[in-house]
Amino acid sequence: MSDTTTDKKRYFVASTAELESNDRVIAEIQGREIAVFDVDGEYYAVANYCVHQGGPACEGLLSGTVTVNEEMELSYDQEGEVVACPWHGWEFDVKTGEHLASSEYVLPTYDVVVDDCKVYVEL
Amino acid sequence: MVETSKIQRISDLDTVVDCDFHLVERQSDILPYIEEPFNKMLSRSTGDDYGYLSNLYPTPGFLTPVTTGKVQSETVRSPEDVRRGMEMLETDRSVLTPTQNLYLACVHHDELAGALAGAYNEYLLDTFIEPNEGLYGAVVVPPQKPQRGAEEIEKHGDEDGIIAAFVPSGGVHPPLGNSQYEPIYEAAESKGLPVMMHNAAGTMMKNFPQQFHGLDRYLSTHVPAHAMQHMVNLSSMITQGIPVKYPELNFIIQEAGIGWIPYFMRRFDAEYSGKREDAPMLNQQPSDYIRDQFYFTSQPLEGADDPAYIEHTLRLFDGGNNLMFSSDYPHLDFDHSDELLKMLRGKFSDEEIENIYGQTALSVYDF
Repeated sequence: MSDTTTDKKRYFVASTAELESNDRVIAEIQGREIAVFDVDGEYYAVANYCVHQGGPACEGLLSGTVTVNEEMELSYDQEGEVVACPWHGWEFDVKTGEHLASSEYVLPTYDVVVDDCKVYVEL
Repeated sequence: MVETSKIQRISDLDTVVDCDFHLVERQSDILPYIEEPFNKMLSRSTGDDYGYLSNLYPTPGFLTPVTTGKVQSETVRSPEDVRRGMEMLETDRSVLTPTQNLYLACVHHDELAGALAGAYNEYLLDTFIEPNEGLYGAVVVPPQKPQRGAEEIEKHGDEDGIIAAFVPSGGVHPPLGNSQYEPIYEAAESKGLPVMMHNAAGTMMKNFPQQFHGLDRYLSTHVPAHAMQHMVNLSSMITQGIPVKYPELNFIIQEAGIGWIPYFMRRFDAEYSGKREDAPMLNQQPSDYIRDQFYFTSQPLEGADDPAYIEHTLRLFDGGNNLMFSSDYPHLDFDHSDELLKMLRGKFSDEEIENIYGQTALSVYDF
């Protein structure tokens, strides 16, 4: 699909093997730090710049998050899909870039392309 | 609306003073400085590896984002650590404040509290204070032992780089207007040092134990804790006439945000009109004392996504003269120096912005 977009360029980030063993790779692309996360073999690219105060949002703990089930009992969801900015603990869904406490705050996300076991971000 | 602002970024400011930069003092830092008999009592070679010194400061047992690893705070145990933080924050001078000793008022042994304050002050001076590099500090006083606090102020108050006295005000009992604290105020005034007041959320466990237990979460405790404890202490201090008794003494109220300040001033004046007999020492409105002798530090700035709120709130307590920038680095709700500036540009004059970021601190602290 990327080949049809004429105004975007591909930037190599990592091999699929590298991402599988590291869960995320952060690359500098065109002056932007962009993290690519591997969530069960699906790849998501998110800006490593927190919309709160500019912290390195994607360098923090990658984990799940506490939520409640239908009975309002505590449970734990989204294992491996939530990154927390190490400065202030703001949680973001790496699949969408959305801040869990308020969807008004969203980290920019980017398209990811996999070609011959190589992972690219398109800008 | 201010016409033009030359100040666009932090580097455009003359001087940036950070009024709250925390050291993260640990057992091995403090133990060598503890006086007898506590040195003999505590300097044992075996013990639990949690660091038994921290067990002397009651802890609230909060489950926080630091506990879960969602916040990864830096540690600050050397001048290099301070410099790294200051570089990130783009500040010129830091007023160094403690972390563990924010809980000093909860220590369950008054003489030990005095010894811990004394050890911290020696550690601070030995390890960090370096005015040529912008590293300044405050003498920590033990609220349980006001006379010892006065002695600490007298001992260190003239040392180069000591620019304030620091009362760990969270958990103090009785509140700080009580006459028992007057030796602290008297010593600070005579040394020309302002008194910093800084709470910690968990210190609620001592002075508001019922509320602390009932709240049952870190979030619900932290939201009211700082402003609530400050309001109680300021209410006590002003009603008891502390600013009247010590007219040359200034107070620096930390880490409670800004919105409560204009509220508290107006509520106090309104109440005073009908209850003046409870505060016969006052010669002017309670809010006048707050304007004249109390300064407030900026972090944690609430409403930073709402410029109209920030502008309006700061105007309501003359923030251009009474607010001073603080980061609270490296704690989990620290503010980067950019955060406030973004809200001030175009709304406040360059002079007011310079005041907030450093000029007011240069006049209030004993630099």
